[in-house]
Amino acid sequence: MLTATRMERTANIPFTAWPNALARSRTRTSVRSFALVLVASACLTAVLASWLPLQVSIVTVFLFAGPHNWFELRYFLMRLPARFGRSRNFFAVAFAGIFFLTAAYLAMPALYYLNLWSGSNWPDAIATWNTLLLLWLGALVILRGKQNSRRDWFWTLPVVFMLCALNWLGPQLFSLAIVYAHPLVALWFLDRHLRRTRPQWLPTYHRCLILLPLLIVGMIWQLSRTSSLADDNGLFWRITQHAGADLLPRVSSRLLVSLHVFLEMLHYGVWIIALPLIGATGAVWKVRTIPLARRRGGFPKLIAAVLVFSLFVVGLLWFGFSVNYPAMRDVYFAVAIAHVLAEAPFLLRMI
Amino acid sequence: MKRTVVLCAAVLLLVSTAVYSFGDIARPKDTPKSSEGKTVLYTSMTVKPDPKAYEARLQISQSTLQRIAHEAGNLSSNDSMTQRLVHSSARTMMAGLFMFLAVSFAGVWFARSSQRRNHKAIASVFLLATVFGLATVIVRANAGPPGYLRWQGLPQNLKAGKITGGGVNIEIVPGDDSEIRLIVPLRNTNQPGEE
Repeated sequence: MLTATRMERTANIPFTAWPNALARSRTRTSVRSFALVLVASACLTAVLASWLPLQVSIVTVFLFAGPHNWFELRYFLMRLPARFGRSRNFFAVAFAGIFFLTAAYLAMPALYYLNLWSGSNWPDAIATWNTLLLLWLGALVILRGKQNSRRDWFWTLPVVFMLCALNWLGPQLFSLAIVYAHPLVALWFLDRHLRRTRPQWLPTYHRCLILLPLLIVGMIWQLSRTSSLADDNGLFWRITQHAGADLLPRVSSRLLVSLHVFLEMLHYGVWIIALPLIGATGAVWKVRTIPLARRRGGFPKLIAAVLVFSLFVVGLLWFGFSVNYPAMRDVYFAVAIAHVLAEAPFLLRMI
Repeated sequence: MKRTVVLCAAVLLLVSTAVYSFGDIARPKDTPKSSEGKTVLYTSMTVKPDPKAYEARLQISQSTLQRIAHEAGNLSSNDSMTQRLVHSSARTMMAGLFMFLAVSFAGVWFARSSQRRNHKAIASVFLLATVFGLATVIVRANAGPPGYLRWQGLPQNLKAGKITGGGVNIEIVPGDDSEIRLIVPLRNTNQPGEE
């Protein structure tokens, strides 16, 4: 009788419970793998950046600078709505800002090299550009805030003005802060995407993020006492200058370059590996995953042409790096300001 | 919206009057430039008596010398923040203007938040400011002993043939004097009437 009851209970177990249990187990495994990959990548990156900062910087920029820009473009096209609707003003301000600020940023060195500007008031020019950037960001935040009546982002205005004030106190240091802060924006993008597509991974991701300040403190502790890097050739000098060796003369340039390379590698890793893997950019070869190409009366051929042309630019960048790496690196980091600016509106759209 | 426009107009009016009132202040006289050197590097130094040596020797590592040479070439960019600001009144004014705007808009936000009874956010801002303030006071209390203490034993150590070590600022002084000078911070610790 007892056996019969047990058999009956076993028979009553709903079959639907099994797939759920399997899915839970699979999720646990995938979360563990995700955490393992994140921690291992961050540690390996920190070790490489600390060990051979200059060499790793050269190789990393050569290999990944172009492709990561292509992935960002692909991602931004994916996030661009098919119809702007209520976001028309937001995107108008965003695109106008990206165009104008990029043009102004490129104009400064261009005017200098064409001997049309002495560069004597360089800090003032940089401070003005930074101010315009901050005001543009403030305008975008306000416009985005207005799209939802529950949001009150007015508090960002005093923050923007305070940042403007700090920028005028030390324009070059402020620009250096942007250089170091920009790679971290990619981690924010990853956070927003995990929140949407893999919410069960999010707590693990946040725990892994705690490792980041620990690694940075560890690098500072290890490298702050080391002697500065020998920047005796043009390329090494450019790399140390880009990391802020001139602005922070009392900090070991080895520490600065290592930190910058570490953050840049994380940035590239997120855009080239992490976001495509979680499906944020869609299947890279399928143009139809992009709303502008998918919609009725869309532009699939134009989008495909843009992506193919961008691939050609990536190839051109590699060719340029092969021919004259130092000059191409300068050109790249000047033009790359466009992708730095483009990240702001698309990140705001996800908040 | 109307209130914001009125507030902005009032702010602009106040700022413009401030600019004009500053225009009445006489230009300050140029202060004579001091002949003091500019610090380019802070490092440590040891003074070691050597009874066998015939000449005093100054030993500097190659990397330190390169850093000194590098910093000496960038003296203008190595000015302190205050010096840089003093040399650029336009930037100081811009920073002041934006700080003023930041405080003004923070006030508007504060008033708006109060209307919505968002006391938690305001309380947390104040709490944060207090914590930062207290932390600043506490951290200052943990400042290390002054550098001159390390050099106090120099005369006795020299007599005893012992090594003395301490921090040193490497300064570049104007002029073409070939003499290298070491200034040691020795305090007279004798009590009055002890000599």
